[in-house]
Amino acid sequence: MNDKSPRARAIERFSADKIGVASACFLVVLAAIAILFAICSIAHIPFPTDPNKTNLQIKLVPPNFTHWLGTDNLGRDVFTRMLHGSYISLTVGFVAVFVSLAIGVVVGAISGYLGGWLDNLVMRIVDALMCFPTLPLVLTIVAYLGPSIWNVVIVIGITGWMGTARLVRAEFLTLREMEYVRAAKALGQHHRHIIFGHILPNAAAPIVVTAVLGVPDAILTEAGLSFLGFGVQPPQATWGNIITDGKAYILDAWWLILFPGLAILVTALAFYLAGEALRKATQTRTERK
Amino acid sequence: MAAFIIRRLLITCLLLVVISVVSFLIFTLTPGSPFPWADLNPKITPAVKEAYRKKYHLDQPLYKQYTFIMSGLLSGNLTSIKDERPVLEKIGERLPATLRLNLMSLLIDTVFGITLGVFAARYAGRWPDLATSIMAFVFIALPGFWISYLVVIGLVQGIGVPVLGTHSFGLDFKNGFQVALDKFWHVLVPATVLALGGIAAQSRYMRGSMIETLGEEYIRTARAKGLPDHLVLYKHAFKNSIRPLITGLGYLLPALISGSVIVETIFAYPGIGRLAYDAVLERDYPLIMAFNFITAVLILIGNLIADVLYALVDPRVRLE
Amino acid sequence: MFGVRAFIFGLPLLLCGIVAAAFYSEKNTQAHHKNELISASIGEAHNLNPVQSSDAAASEVESWVCNTLVKYDENLEVVGDLADSWEQKQTTTIFFFNETDAKSAALKVQQAADRWTDWSLVSAEPNGAELHLNFSIPGPKGSREVFALLDHSKIAPLTIVRAELKQAAQQYASNFRKSAVTAPLVKRSWIESSGAFEFTVAGDTKRVVDELQTALGANKSLAANVTTTDKMDYLQEPEIVFHLHKGVKWHDGAPFTAKDMVFTFQKVMDESVASPRKPDFDLFQLVEAPDPLTVRAVCRKPFSLALLAWMIPPLPEHILAGKTTDWWAENFNRKILGTGPYKFAEWKTNEYISLVKNPDYFRGEPHLDSVLIRVLPDPLTLRLAFQTKQTDSWLIDPWSIGRFQDDPRFDLFKSPGRQYSYVGWNLRRPLFQDKKVRQALAHAVDIGSIIKYVLYGNGTQSTGIFPPEMWFFNADVKPFTYDPELAKRMLGEAGWTPGPDGILTKNGQRFSFTLITNNGNEARKDIATLVQADLRKIGIEVKVEIYEWAVFLERHVDTGDFDAVVLGWALGVDYDQYTLWHSSQTNPKQLNFCCYKNPEVDRVLEQLRVEYDRDTIKSLAGRLQQTIYDDQPYLFLAVPKPITAMWKDTFRVLRPANGKWTDEPIRETKAGAGVYQEWFYRPQYRPQITPQ
Repeated sequence: MNDKSPRARAIERFSADKIGVASACFLVVLAAIAILFAICSIAHIPFPTDPNKTNLQIKLVPPNFTHWLGTDNLGRDVFTRMLHGSYISLTVGFVAVFVSLAIGVVVGAISGYLGGWLDNLVMRIVDALMCFPTLPLVLTIVAYLGPSIWNVVIVIGITGWMGTARLVRAEFLTLREMEYVRAAKALGQHHRHIIFGHILPNAAAPIVVTAVLGVPDAILTEAGLSFLGFGVQPPQATWGNIITDGKAYILDAWWLILFPGLAILVTALAFYLAGEALRKATQTRTERK
Repeated sequence: MAAFIIRRLLITCLLLVVISVVSFLIFTLTPGSPFPWADLNPKITPAVKEAYRKKYHLDQPLYKQYTFIMSGLLSGNLTSIKDERPVLEKIGERLPATLRLNLMSLLIDTVFGITLGVFAARYAGRWPDLATSIMAFVFIALPGFWISYLVVIGLVQGIGVPVLGTHSFGLDFKNGFQVALDKFWHVLVPATVLALGGIAAQSRYMRGSMIETLGEEYIRTARAKGLPDHLVLYKHAFKNSIRPLITGLGYLLPALISGSVIVETIFAYPGIGRLAYDAVLERDYPLIMAFNFITAVLILIGNLIADVLYALVDPRVRLE
Repeated sequence: MFGVRAFIFGLPLLLCGIVAAAFYSEKNTQAHHKNELISASIGEAHNLNPVQSSDAAASEVESWVCNTLVKYDENLEVVGDLADSWEQKQTTTIFFFNETDAKSAALKVQQAADRWTDWSLVSAEPNGAELHLNFSIPGPKGSREVFALLDHSKIAPLTIVRAELKQAAQQYASNFRKSAVTAPLVKRSWIESSGAFEFTVAGDTKRVVDELQTALGANKSLAANVTTTDKMDYLQEPEIVFHLHKGVKWHDGAPFTAKDMVFTFQKVMDESVASPRKPDFDLFQLVEAPDPLTVRAVCRKPFSLALLAWMIPPLPEHILAGKTTDWWAENFNRKILGTGPYKFAEWKTNEYISLVKNPDYFRGEPHLDSVLIRVLPDPLTLRLAFQTKQTDSWLIDPWSIGRFQDDPRFDLFKSPGRQYSYVGWNLRRPLFQDKKVRQALAHAVDIGSIIKYVLYGNGTQSTGIFPPEMWFFNADVKPFTYDPELAKRMLGEAGWTPGPDGILTKNGQRFSFTLITNNGNEARKDIATLVQADLRKIGIEVKVEIYEWAVFLERHVDTGDFDAVVLGWALGVDYDQYTLWHSSQTNPKQLNFCCYKNPEVDRVLEQLRVEYDRDTIKSLAGRLQQTIYDDQPYLFLAVPKPITAMWKDTFRVLRPANGKWTDEPIRETKAGAGVYQEWFYRPQYRPQITPQ
């Protein structure tokens, strides 16, 4: 077993984790649906059913055989909107994580690798950034750039990278003292090469885990922003704003919030469980029992 | 150590200046006027709006507005635009309800978090562990507003128990005990919803910490010596695992006065989160600045305390 | 280690036990209702000072705590409240070049005594070079006809000279009137603010302007600017005299007198108060109290809505006189003092304002012990609080009307709709400049289904700028019908033909625009979506964008930077819509943000402001409504009818009427059910008054 690479071992361990595999399968199916809709949307292929088609004659219809999850206050089919929402919600989740990861990794890596006063400064700046008011920032950005998915993504991304930066920095602080890094330094290799060629691959596992766990956080944040009216704007459907649109009707049309809420819950859960399995699988020191 | 603390305090002051300037800029860049009721009101002429701007110094250059707000804040007599009351008084009057809610929520998540964590560690790898960890992830994955709505509707619509506000209205209670119990109930429900995430985090943390401690040399020795399982678990392992929780106390400082807009809105609870949120929506600059400044102070001081506590608890850490 | 284990597992169990106990107690508490009325709203008052507040939440509190000189009754007619009665009259002053001319003019008028009743003239007296005409009815009509009788060449024309300066307008104006050579030519002066004043000058205006310019120009830092604005033939000064009710007392026991009203007026005009009510009072040049029960208010020119300004609750002079506004903010603005049926008791920010009854109320002791006005942050919380009897009334969400209508536990009250929703076309955009296009758009939107599905049937199609309940509403205006074919034909006539992608095109331009609205308003969001769908059917592409309120206003509405906007007006009950439709009101931040300009409408709007005669007002307002509706600067959508739900049998009304007490259920009136609110009582606490 020791002759296998760490990656192979991790994969082996991951595939032994039933919950992790189940979660991952669920996510793959979800991603497939989302990508299908994304392609349709980008290529202007007409959807099988239009998520924005209003039909007031059938407004607020409870779930039935033609409308599996019922219809909303404008007679739009909730199931269709949720399928579309899946693609936007996931996009928001992934892109926001990508943004925050990109910033966090670079900042954390430089800070942790170089250390000294620079590290100190960066960490204090990170402290300061955590003190900034998110809501006015959202308002300002949306006001100046207009309400679109991408601005929501940017907001979530740039308010969420500080945790990643701290984590990466901590990893780098430990890894930079490792033999192979010292050796590379002694060989006179460029800092950039050492950071991205030597240290980063070794810090990849926790970063990937953070990323996986970051996606549901971003989805939940988008839903929260939607609740306050600052998320992705209608008529574009996300799970968050289907609930927001439906919240007024909650007592008369429970299906408007129950199903999208469940979708968020289940998806977030799948990400967390998969992330957890991944974390366990990539951990160098295995847990007892 | 003293030198470290002093240096950090100096840096903190510097950071506070930077934070206040930048957040002031963010607020002023945000479109909107602090007199929302005057918007699109046919009775209110532009001259009236101009008079208002003048009254609150909004017609002056930015740096003057900034110094006006900051000097007011530091001298303690800055007043809110919305109702002209001192901002500190406005924040202060929300504190009791907020503290009540946050302490209650903290109590719930600590108690249940630790218990579940210990429970999971005790049966690590077996089904109780699996069940608690899935439960913990469900708690984290719950969208806050969604579960709040479900709880409110379940209690109010389903069972007919009032949960909104800090107490029941319009009722003639017989005795003080009923009043107290009624108040307690109105804190309990939102606190539980708020605590869900905390329970999950605490239990995961506790479980990890316990399992790590159980792997230590001295525990194994104790076991080998034939110490009963529960004694090992609850005496030695638990005590050592609970220690990291102490270092987390520093981070609690800002959390105690923080508020959750969403839960407070849905439960109509008059906490600090809604105060800040309303202030942002109403562009009540003095109040947002004050709130933001106080939060920043608490976060930075909390970080400092956490670092110091960390060093105190763990002798291996040395503060440069 | 039993202790630790007990602790770890005992504590959660204990906590669960406490929760269960609290739940059980909450569920089974059989406390009975206090003799109290609880209402709730989403917004909270900013300030309870009647001259500084302007939001709906504050005016609700004021409606319980304060009285006003006049108020609206159940039929929306103006009736006395603190004033038992009032009369309006007018003095018109004609300025002559010399005394003899004035005298002979007076004689001439007196000779026409047989026509005095037509003119509503009471007296015509010369006074120096001035001729004073007293009319029993205010308005321009009588004066105009008397003036026509006189020799115009002997009359000194009047001009308004306006001076704008940096500061101290008050001081410069009074200095000028004391010392200047031309001061006798200045007949009236009015200080608008510390930065502007106006003189009414008779005769040689140029000399006054020159002297004023020299006087002000001496001080460079004033950057003074002197202009002449209006020209008039004579001076009209309408006045209102109020006779106050005897024996009214403030809640602290001090008597309410006319001096309080004078004080209120002074404070409204005081710049340091920054009163949003100031525009209402700008036309008053003098308010005085000849005796404790009489208030006399004189206007600078005819303005028929001047009376309505006096629906302002008075300020107590004995408390506020001589205090700074900072003192007000600390000591008064959050504990309002009034004369009304309920007294202020407590304000818990973001929770409630509580009021207790005023046993010394001048119309009799009210029946409820207390009134609680709660703040609930979310529409759903409002409903849930109502359903658990934590509040006594609830403004029903339109979509749940059906459910509440069928429920025998509730009473429903339909209030008259005083608002309407619309799609405003930005007339600065070439797309919407053609009236025919706008009318076609009005035919293309199915307003019937908006009413049916967005308002759930509780509303009517709007036929223009006035609410249907008003006496000046023009019921003859025919609504546009939903007829997409006709709309297409009309657009075709205007040159719009379907392009290759199905979108209408004219000269290579596609008929495509962005419709914006603010977030947080479900109905508007729905309307935007429906309009988008309806217009798509006739080949118009609409993009919908939703902005946060402040952003929406500041970056789009205020600046006029939008194509079309979904909004609504919640209007007062008067007919003056000058600020909404006059072509002078199209600048940034003004309310004619769609840039509607119609000279005929301008004329009617101006005329309406000075007209006092009810029939003339009705016909002018009717014409205004018809003209604007035909022009379709807005696509007028619907007038929703708000519906309030109350638990059955919670309240009845026991009120004095014509010296007797009448006991009746709450009923709907033109002004809503709230007009009787001061006489609500709970049947289980029936007051000891026997209705006769």
